[in-house]
Amino acid sequence: MINFIIRKILALIPMLVVISFLIFLGVELMPGDAVDFMISPEALSTVSPAELEALRDELGLNDPFIVRYFIWLANILRGDFGYSLQSGVPVSQLMANTLPATLELTVAALLISTLLGSLLGVVSALRKGSIADNVLTVAGMIGVAIPQFLFGLVMIVVFVFNLEWLPVGGRMTPGRELFFQRLEYLVLPAVVLGLALTAGVMRYSRASMLDSLNKDYIKTARSKGLKEWRINLIHGLRVAMTPVAVLIGFRLPMLIGGAVVIEQVFQWQGVGQLFVMAVRSQNTPIIMMIAFFSVLMVLVSSILVDIVTAILDPRVKLS
Amino acid sequence: MRDDLILQVKDLSVNFYTNQRCNMALRGVSFDLRKGRTLCIVGESGCGKSVTANAIMQLLPDLSRIESGNITFKGQDGDIQIEKLPKNGKQMRKLRGEVMAMIFQDPMTALNPVFTVGFQMNEMIQAHTDLRKKAATEKSIGLLTDMGVPLPEQRVHEYPHQFSGGMRQRAMIAMAMACAPEILIADEPTTALDVTIQAQIFELMLELKETEHMAILLITHDMGVVAEMADDVAVMYMGNMVESGTVQQILNSPSHPYTIALLQSIPVLGHGKNQNLEPIRGMTPDPYHRPPGCQFAPRCDFATDICASRLPDESVFDTNHMVRCFHYEEIKRNKEIQHGKK
Ligand SMILES: Nc1ncnc2c1ncn2[C@@H]1O[C@H](COP(=O)(O)OP(=O)(O)OP(=O)(O)O)[C@@H](O)[C@H]1O
Ligand SMILES: [Mg+2]
Repeated sequence: MINFIIRKILALIPMLVVISFLIFLGVELMPGDAVDFMISPEALSTVSPAELEALRDELGLNDPFIVRYFIWLANILRGDFGYSLQSGVPVSQLMANTLPATLELTVAALLISTLLGSLLGVVSALRKGSIADNVLTVAGMIGVAIPQFLFGLVMIVVFVFNLEWLPVGGRMTPGRELFFQRLEYLVLPAVVLGLALTAGVMRYSRASMLDSLNKDYIKTARSKGLKEWRINLIHGLRVAMTPVAVLIGFRLPMLIGGAVVIEQVFQWQGVGQLFVMAVRSQNTPIIMMIAFFSVLMVLVSSILVDIVTAILDPRVKLS
Repeated sequence: MRDDLILQVKDLSVNFYTNQRCNMALRGVSFDLRKGRTLCIVGESGCGKSVTANAIMQLLPDLSRIESGNITFKGQDGDIQIEKLPKNGKQMRKLRGEVMAMIFQDPMTALNPVFTVGFQMNEMIQAHTDLRKKAATEKSIGLLTDMGVPLPEQRVHEYPHQFSGGMRQRAMIAMAMACAPEILIADEPTTALDVTIQAQIFELMLELKETEHMAILLITHDMGVVAEMADDVAVMYMGNMVESGTVQQILNSPSHPYTIALLQSIPVLGHGKNQNLEPIRGMTPDPYHRPPGCQFAPRCDFATDICASRLPDESVFDTNHMVRCFHYEEIKRNKEIQHGKK
């Protein structure tokens, strides 16, 4: 197992190099460059082209593409992710300030959608055809179809303005930073971010569970005189879990993407907000860092999928 | 011989309700199972063999229902009416596994792929005894040894996919035998296996019948298997037993046109290649549009008007040779004349 994991991680390295190159290329192809955004249009008229060139030289923007790529890569390997072009703050520090907030949000959303989604899906499957099942099926369809920002706004109207149960946005009240005090800020954005995934997991685990309950081994289990809960929750659920775990793993990137929107809606000071700000001002070091980081998350989640599948299904060979 | 009666099925009818249509899968099936004897149920695909087996275990799917009839288990503590027990209630669960166990056609799909064979055997043992996990595992190892699974100490911790088809079926039998059931129901246990393995599995079942004095209900569509395994035979056609009796009675003096046709349609080993094999003419009727009267009438050479009017009753001769046909006496006479000519 350890071998398997190490091999998977080693296989990441060449992939990351290729991706870093693509990201660098992508940023290169964006119109304009950092200098255009550093200087306001009014100021631009007073600056001579020679001064602009000097600034470009200073920032290293005039070196050949390949040279800049390798300088950038070497810096990254040394842990130097560059500096924000606007504030001059190291990118790594900006990430350190925002990443915990985003992780908090995505992990909470992941937990909600995994637990709630599979619970509702399994209940739905065990009570197939009941009213609860039908209600959940319709709710699932709505959950998959509704745009996140719309759902977020509706939730804000209901829970913040009408019921006045929860704060409108932000991450915590200064001075009240205990876990449970922060929870009321986390609930809404996490639920909204997790909604689509919850609905997806629910529909998928219902189908997977029904499929499993129709298999021959269920009949065998029943013919052994086992109790119904054991038949459903041990034999049925255990097999149904694998495809659901794979689905969750592959949808993880969706959470990361969704966080950009949700952080805007709920004023959540995370990587998503940083990203939007950076794109607006073409702050390339930040954009590259976040892009690189997102890709890394996607790759890591695909490794997690492989590991979880290997744990859940003994038929998966570890070699 | 009466004392050996362990399970009695009387006039069992089962309907399936699919898409607002009703399929009368079983229409009055009766038979007895006796200790130390094997009853083979033969018949073509769709005649209701599996439904019969599942009805006894109360494993029928939700869309089906036992309409009428009795399934009586003749236990030491008196009779139990199986069809009256709640499907997944405590009593039924006790019967399953302890009194009767079942093995299935495809041992690959019948075992859960994500649990070890040992886990699945222990589960059976622990559901019916107070044994702890360790003791249960030891018992499982013992059972695997008895069923001829090599390296049982190692095998018990392996997953079904690590077993070969034959070994898997042995493991299934080992699991079925875990609580020393009095009845073993085997629904085409060797269809998914190759011929040599098939012979080994049957060998094992014969042995168990002798040593454990078990009653075996063996479902098959293979007359060769019947000749080899059966003490008693019941021939099914479209939800009815059309003929039943001892294996000698059925194989040597078949009296129902369907049984006769069935026997003529299969090659007999050692008779060379010039055998007169005759496929049964016509097609199996659509179960949703069953012919009125005798189900076999549309395909039968002896059919007359009466056959289409109503279902013939069961007639018994030679003590326990049952046949469900209006013309069986005539058919018997014809056959004797034919034999005479030869
Ligand atoms: N799950 C089910 N749903 C609907 N109809 C069913 C179901 N199981 C069996 N039947 C019907 O019951 C009848 C008898 O089926 P059964 O499975 O007992 O046949 P069988 O004799 O076991 O055939 P085979 O040799 O193919 O296993 C058939 O007409 C079949 O269509
Ligand atoms: Mg069958």
